[in-house]
Amino acid sequence: MLTRDSSSRLVPTFITLLVVGVLLMTIDVRLEGKGVVGVLRSGTQAIVAPLQEVAAFVVNPVADMFDSLTNVASLREQNIALRAELADAQAELVAVQDQLAVLALLEQLYGLDSADPELGQTVANVIGKVDAAFVVDKGTNDGVVVGQPVIDTNGYVVGIVMTVTSGSATIVPITAGRNGLTVLVNAQVGTLTPQVNTSEMRLLIGDAREPVIEGDRVVTSAGSNAYPAGLPVGVVLGDAAPESNSLTASVEPYVNTDTLRIVVILAWPPDPVTAATDDAVDVKETTTTTSGDTATTTSPPENEG
Amino acid sequence: MRGRTVLIVVALLMVAVVVQTTLFGRIRLVTPDLVLLLAILLCLTRIRPEVILAIAFTSGLVVDLLGSSVLGLRAVVFTTVAYLGLRTRDRAEIGRVAVALWAGGLTLVGVVLLMLIGTLFGQSSLLGENTLSRVILVPLANLVIAAALAPLVVRLVDRDKTAFRYP
Repeated sequence: MLTRDSSSRLVPTFITLLVVGVLLMTIDVRLEGKGVVGVLRSGTQAIVAPLQEVAAFVVNPVADMFDSLTNVASLREQNIALRAELADAQAELVAVQDQLAVLALLEQLYGLDSADPELGQTVANVIGKVDAAFVVDKGTNDGVVVGQPVIDTNGYVVGIVMTVTSGSATIVPITAGRNGLTVLVNAQVGTLTPQVNTSEMRLLIGDAREPVIEGDRVVTSAGSNAYPAGLPVGVVLGDAAPESNSLTASVEPYVNTDTLRIVVILAWPPDPVTAATDDAVDVKETTTTTSGDTATTTSPPENEG
Repeated sequence: MRGRTVLIVVALLMVAVVVQTTLFGRIRLVTPDLVLLLAILLCLTRIRPEVILAIAFTSGLVVDLLGSSVLGLRAVVFTTVAYLGLRTRDRAEIGRVAVALWAGGLTLVGVVLLMLIGTLFGQSSLLGENTLSRVILVPLANLVIAAALAPLVVRLVDRDKTAFRYP
């Protein structure tokens, strides 16, 4: 049988904690997650991330097995469909390789150089998930900094680095971000914002000149401060025509964050000083690949060739 | 609260946080809220009520700090749920089923509060998609886990093998 003393301090303590909680919420909203709040988040993550990494090492095989068992039937059908897609993709790849060869030849003839240097990439494993955000096993030691864009292995936009410690980082997907995403659809610039209780996002084009059609690709715009231009984000779900110069449509992102296991963190924006130097772009590329429990980091020599 | 009890509570909290963010972050079919459940189950122990509120607040704050939701959101919700738990814990002493239903009911209150306060602070999208199904699944999962683990947690924290034994 339980024995307890009733406390007259219960209600005052409850009210005090509620007030403190609401104050914290207000401060966090005002600071937009930066400042002291950012330091607190990084500190907590630094403590918990190593434990998450160890737990993920044990949990991931179990979770994979659980997923496999629950998806055996659909996996077989998916396998057949993927084989067909692979054949189509290989055919397209051959065509693209031909086009690239022609492009390289033309660039050589006209003395052109690629406008954007290849971005540094850090490949990271997902080790934890809290609400919509997820934690990866790469941090400042691997060159990851707050605000860097994150894509999946297919190059589709995933989200942005919110907090980072020496060995881990928290990533907020675009479907849960506090700010919208500046995108390009058929040469029209719009804003993509998350919606409640759905993975679909809302596209708003303020100065719409033409309609958008179901299946139109949505890519990041050069006007975006958070992402490099041209990264695929999603696809328009239904036709929409301009009304009073503005247009609204639903967009399904390509990435499903629930099934993400590996992500790629881009070293973007590149250093403004080196980026401004057209003739000598020197971007250090650090690629970290992880397989099982081993991690390899490679950096090309600075004066190669 | 003695030093050893503090250690046990901190260890339980860390285990709950790590398991919640790794195992249950991967498996989508089973979605309990272990940290909230721990805050609820601690209401059944002999820890002083105001300390239980402080633990619930801290637990929520830790989850807030690890996630992307606004800081303090879960802290407020967990504290409120713990307060309700402390006020109603006598009803959970009847038996295992009563404990499970009590924990499930409090979890339901917690999930609904999380949605409501989250919406007020513009954080609904941070809770992810399928929010409505979570209102049903999370309390159900917590109900089942509470039925299995409630006596164990109480005995572990109170260090009393005779505690919470049903006739």
